[in-house]
Amino acid sequence: MPELTYSRVNRDILRTLETPGRAYWIAVALLAAGVVLGGYCWWTQIQTGMGVSGKFIPTAWFAYITTFVFWVGIAHSGTLISAILFLFRARWRTPVYRSAEAMTVFAVMTAGLFPLIHLGRAWQFYWLLPYPNERQLWPNFRSPLLWDVFAVTTYFTVSAMFLYLGLIPDIAAARDRATGWRRRLYRLASLGWRGTDTEWTHYSSAYMFFAAFATPLVVSVHSVVSWDFTMSIVPGWHSTIFAPYFVAGAIHSGLAMVITLLIPLRRLFRLEQFLDTLHFEQLARLMIVTGLIVGYAYGVEFFVAWYSGNPFELSTFLDRAFGPHGDLFWAMVVFNCGLPLLFFAPRLRRNYAVLLAVSVLVNVGMWLERFVIIAVSLTNDYLPAIWRKTFHFTWVEAGILFGSLCWFLLLFFLFAKIFPTVSITEVKEALPEPRRTAAAEGHA
Amino acid sequence: MSDAFNRREFLKLVTIASTGTLAACSPAPPQKVIPYVIPPEEVVPGLSYWFKTTCRECPAGCGMMARTREGRVVKLEGNPEHPINRGALCVRGQAALQGLYNPDRLAGPLRRTPEGRLEPITWEQAEEALVALFRFLREQRRTATVALLTERISGATEKFFRDLFAVFPAGQVIQYEPFAYEALRAGNRVAFGTSEIPHYDIAAARMLVSFGADFLETWLSNVECARAFAAARRRHERDAMRFVAVEPRLSLTAANADVWLPARPGSEAALALALVHEILRSGRARISSTEAARIGQLVATLDAETAERLTDVPAPRIRALAREFAAADPGLALGPGVAASGPAATALQVAVNLLNYVCGNVNRTVQFGRGSSWDRVATHAEMLEFIERMRTGRVDVLFFHHTNPVYTLPPATGFARALQRVRLKVSFSPFLDETTAQCDLILPDHTPLERWEEYQPRAGIRALVQPAMAGGFHFQSRQAADMLLYVVSRADATLSRQFPFADFRAYLENEWRAVHRAVAPEQPFAEFWRSAVEAGGIWREVPLRPVRLSEAVFRFDFSPALTVHTERDESLALLVFPTAERFDGRGANRPWLQETPDAMTKIVWSAWAELHPETARRYGVREGDLLKVSSPHGTIQLPAHLTPTVRPDTVAIPLGQGHTSFGRWAADCGPTPLALLSAEVEVTSGGLLYGGTRVRIERLPVRRLLARTQQETSQHDREIARVVPLAELVAGSVRRDPEPRLSIYPEHTHDGHRWGMAIDLDACIGCNACVVACSIENNVPWVGALQVDRGRHMAWMRIDRYWEPVPEAQPVGGVAPLETHFLPMLCQHCDHAPCESVCPVYATYHNHEGLNVQVYNRCVGTRYCSNNCPYKVRRFHWFDDQWPWPLALGLNPDVTARTKGVMGKCTFCVQRIRTAKDQAKDENRTVRDGEIIPACAQTCPAEAIVFGDLNDPNSRVRQLADSARGYHVLGELNTRPAITYLKKVRRSGLDRPTGEDG
Repeated sequence: MPELTYSRVNRDILRTLETPGRAYWIAVALLAAGVVLGGYCWWTQIQTGMGVSGKFIPTAWFAYITTFVFWVGIAHSGTLISAILFLFRARWRTPVYRSAEAMTVFAVMTAGLFPLIHLGRAWQFYWLLPYPNERQLWPNFRSPLLWDVFAVTTYFTVSAMFLYLGLIPDIAAARDRATGWRRRLYRLASLGWRGTDTEWTHYSSAYMFFAAFATPLVVSVHSVVSWDFTMSIVPGWHSTIFAPYFVAGAIHSGLAMVITLLIPLRRLFRLEQFLDTLHFEQLARLMIVTGLIVGYAYGVEFFVAWYSGNPFELSTFLDRAFGPHGDLFWAMVVFNCGLPLLFFAPRLRRNYAVLLAVSVLVNVGMWLERFVIIAVSLTNDYLPAIWRKTFHFTWVEAGILFGSLCWFLLLFFLFAKIFPTVSITEVKEALPEPRRTAAAEGHA
Repeated sequence: MSDAFNRREFLKLVTIASTGTLAACSPAPPQKVIPYVIPPEEVVPGLSYWFKTTCRECPAGCGMMARTREGRVVKLEGNPEHPINRGALCVRGQAALQGLYNPDRLAGPLRRTPEGRLEPITWEQAEEALVALFRFLREQRRTATVALLTERISGATEKFFRDLFAVFPAGQVIQYEPFAYEALRAGNRVAFGTSEIPHYDIAAARMLVSFGADFLETWLSNVECARAFAAARRRHERDAMRFVAVEPRLSLTAANADVWLPARPGSEAALALALVHEILRSGRARISSTEAARIGQLVATLDAETAERLTDVPAPRIRALAREFAAADPGLALGPGVAASGPAATALQVAVNLLNYVCGNVNRTVQFGRGSSWDRVATHAEMLEFIERMRTGRVDVLFFHHTNPVYTLPPATGFARALQRVRLKVSFSPFLDETTAQCDLILPDHTPLERWEEYQPRAGIRALVQPAMAGGFHFQSRQAADMLLYVVSRADATLSRQFPFADFRAYLENEWRAVHRAVAPEQPFAEFWRSAVEAGGIWREVPLRPVRLSEAVFRFDFSPALTVHTERDESLALLVFPTAERFDGRGANRPWLQETPDAMTKIVWSAWAELHPETARRYGVREGDLLKVSSPHGTIQLPAHLTPTVRPDTVAIPLGQGHTSFGRWAADCGPTPLALLSAEVEVTSGGLLYGGTRVRIERLPVRRLLARTQQETSQHDREIARVVPLAELVAGSVRRDPEPRLSIYPEHTHDGHRWGMAIDLDACIGCNACVVACSIENNVPWVGALQVDRGRHMAWMRIDRYWEPVPEAQPVGGVAPLETHFLPMLCQHCDHAPCESVCPVYATYHNHEGLNVQVYNRCVGTRYCSNNCPYKVRRFHWFDDQWPWPLALGLNPDVTARTKGVMGKCTFCVQRIRTAKDQAKDENRTVRDGEIIPACAQTCPAEAIVFGDLNDPNSRVRQLADSARGYHVLGELNTRPAITYLKKVRRSGLDRPTGEDG
């Protein structure tokens, strides 16, 4: 970024926080309407009963748990990009990590809704938390669902704090230019940041600490989520490969979501100078890797099903590929493993249209992957007498899923207008040395 | 009057006073407390009182016990002392509860206005109307024909109605049953000179051959037959009873056969005659040689080869069957059921009689003198005559008493049209059924659970029907006989002297004075009467009345047996069959029956047309396609069900649906095949021709919902329902299958009791009685066809049904033989329950007595337990249960009604365990083996389910659990279920090599 100066960085990035235009408000209004629609659907479900969704016996977990796992997966790339790539000194992460981190937090916030939506008696959700009570009733620590509660809340806490920590200097920069309610908000949120050397020292070590702390969580949280399935005895769920397979899948879907969000964001906020082709190329390359890992996992599952000689397992996997929902399986294979291979061609991975299309389809594919694992496996378990292979998606379910997507995007939209989506601090750090002094006034 | 009836009277008052309260489990909170202003001394709230009565859901007459709580009937069970059913009750009998509490019952009397509408009237008005009518009819003194069309009645009830209608110069009582067994009666008259339907001693038979007798479903007395069949099946000896079923469709009965011979529809008689021929030819008959020669002449033309041409059954198999049947000592052949009642039905019954006769079974397993008389039940021919009289205006007043001929007679008979010519039509039906909807005056009777009656199902049994709760609790119904007595006493002074009774109970009691004099004159009458009512009637052993072959048999024309439709053309044979759940359609307004899956197809809430997949391919039909089935007499449209259990030249359609006016639950469940039947009768017997119609089918471009609780039919070599060959069992070489015994958690210790169950798959006949018993006991809701199709069936217990091809067996008539496995599936109460460890809130856990407990109040509804249950026996409450008033009154107050969003499942009837333990504690003892009987085990006619304490080495369940046949379903998963299944015993088929040929 040779032409960039500190002041330019400040101006360009903070410009994204200026009073938005009509298009933004329309978008926010539409998204809010989507959230309200989702809320109405949830209310309907609470009033009428879970029967308004498409679940049944044997497929007692369906679109909600699928979507939960999907959003938890999305949440992974944020921390991967911000923490792991930070630790590995991958410089190209700088302009994208803030968005990725925000996406992480919002994805967890979206994911966290689904276990509640999924509960038959959502109003009793707090029984899953270990709180002291006069009945001396504790949750069952053997249940993977409880591990989920801990894993997801821990991940949410840490990633939210990590996001916030990285934001502090930037909020301070914004504070110095803002007026009105924004100034009050930024003043409060910047915790009195002045940019002294001591503060920078503490900030750097804290950031490093959080990066190191968040890194194992990337692995642990999705491993724990995968144990919801592995710890059961359902054929197609009960598999030791799930933890690494789910983590790879999570990163795969997270990368796809980062690309999906950044391409429009780059255009909307005119961040072309900060986010150039190089960054997207790197993300695309990473997707090739995760796509291959996921593809390998798909293959291993089938191999183990055959090699184990377990007839239940084999039947489930044959059903998965060649049964009535085989089309979902093959769509998932093509989207998740096939399409990322296009990125081997530099021409394609530099083409934003292709990038966007592939990443959207990978997102679809990753949702299908969870659906195939969760719902399709359940249709074909031990006793053939209860096999039931027809799915009925309902409008309530569709409304809730759509509402959750709107919720996620709404949070992101609001965030993008309140906080800088590209890190001012780190972009400046990436600038060449001589320009620092030349534009020192840019740093408050 | 004895104390029992004082209490009863009191109960009546109490329950009337408290109508609308008492709903301990209803979803709505009770509005008032129980208004026991003066508490009845003998009714303790919270305790159950049992009343013995008699089931009137079909003519079989099983003994029944009604359990009441606070004056409400909450459960029906079989009377353990009753000689017919010995404690068991079928699906229909148990669902009678939903007849009692059916919201579609008529609320009170109705009268047709001049404009043709039905308007409610008071009982006083109704009485006035009847009194006026009676006076009018008596004063007329001309031949005004007054007829009562009633269900089969007997004993004092029959006498009452006969005497009462005899007061009219041309009064007449016609007993009408849709299944009137005309062919059995006629065939017995021809063969033995008596139209009695004998008692068939199935339990004693060494070999059973059924020619279309669905004795495990509807034939004669299904519970009694099922009990006897199970008793015979329990003999696991070298010559254990074997069962061959001859019928074109695999019915539930045929599914329990060792060999199913899908003979061409209508050709069963030819097969039976060929068996007679082959037995006589091989000299195995147990009759004198002169008789053998004469009978031989009768069947001379029907050798095995001729029979093969007619029936499709290969000649070698016919010979093998003849050989085995002749060798059985004794054997038993059973005659036609409804589905086999075609033009050759009487010929078939005569042939079956001959077959039994030549093998020496008559007077051994075929016991005349102990059977039932159906002489006073009208044949179909007599009904047609009556219809003709109605049509020509020769019936003035017609009363309907628990019959619905507008629905149960084929429309081709023109009953509904002829009914319009009857001047006054009065119905006593509690429901606005098709016939009642045509009537001018409707005086809703009590259901059998509220009324007095006597019923004699067969010789030696005088059963009593007594009210288990006061009638008129919600619906202002009155017992028809009470009403008539009152009207008669008002109408005419002479009549009131002839019937000086306040109500029918007084009449019945008076009639029983004669019974008392005949049976137990030494006992005071009050005591006798009281003990009879308390026992549900009296019964005694009846001597056998031996019969001899009648000469008429040698003049009998067997030609209908030989006129079998054997050409291949575009038409298909129509097989109209009744099922255990739907019978003749009289239970169609009971949601429990509608939602009980058909035993074979597992279809709920709908009629269907069974097609062989090959036929379906020919017509391009897929599962659920709407079919147009047309015969010369009518056309119906119904969804197709593809199944390998019906001959390719046959389309099979069940009876029992197609109601146009029978309440909300009977509506929209598809048509009745009666619309396809002709008005003709079977010539010899005058029977309704359920069989023998040829139909054409056409696929319509529409699909219909055909909800099934089970879709997959094969067990995919998973050895879920296991089998052991009889030979191995007899030789004692059966070993238990190995199962893992690993655990990382400490083992559960079960100090005291460890409840467990054993289910004998060899005894289970798949009849669904347990399923309905469970649903009623445990307040299991129904959800309707759409939700069943979506997989939201709520039954805690289900019968999984698997079909496996029989290796090396030759197809007969284009149908490959199948082995059917019924697997009752309920919560296995695993020691290592996969559901328990995954529940995040401990809503399900293992209690110290080995029960897998579900705490509804703690459940948050993650449904993880259901996913992790390999048996998939957990049922999630997708919606709030619907118990339209007053159905909620029949809920079991001992079992929590579940809210939406929680999981439920089999509890091993924990409420019954609790009650028995409390009782034992009160009596300072431990629970005795067999004292706790869960609802499913209680009602099983085959006694396939045994419950008890596995910790007690002497308990029946422990011994069964240790038996060599025992195994655990999916035991390889190390779930360690508390339910041990006993493997089905495979008896050899007819194809076993013997070397000799008769």
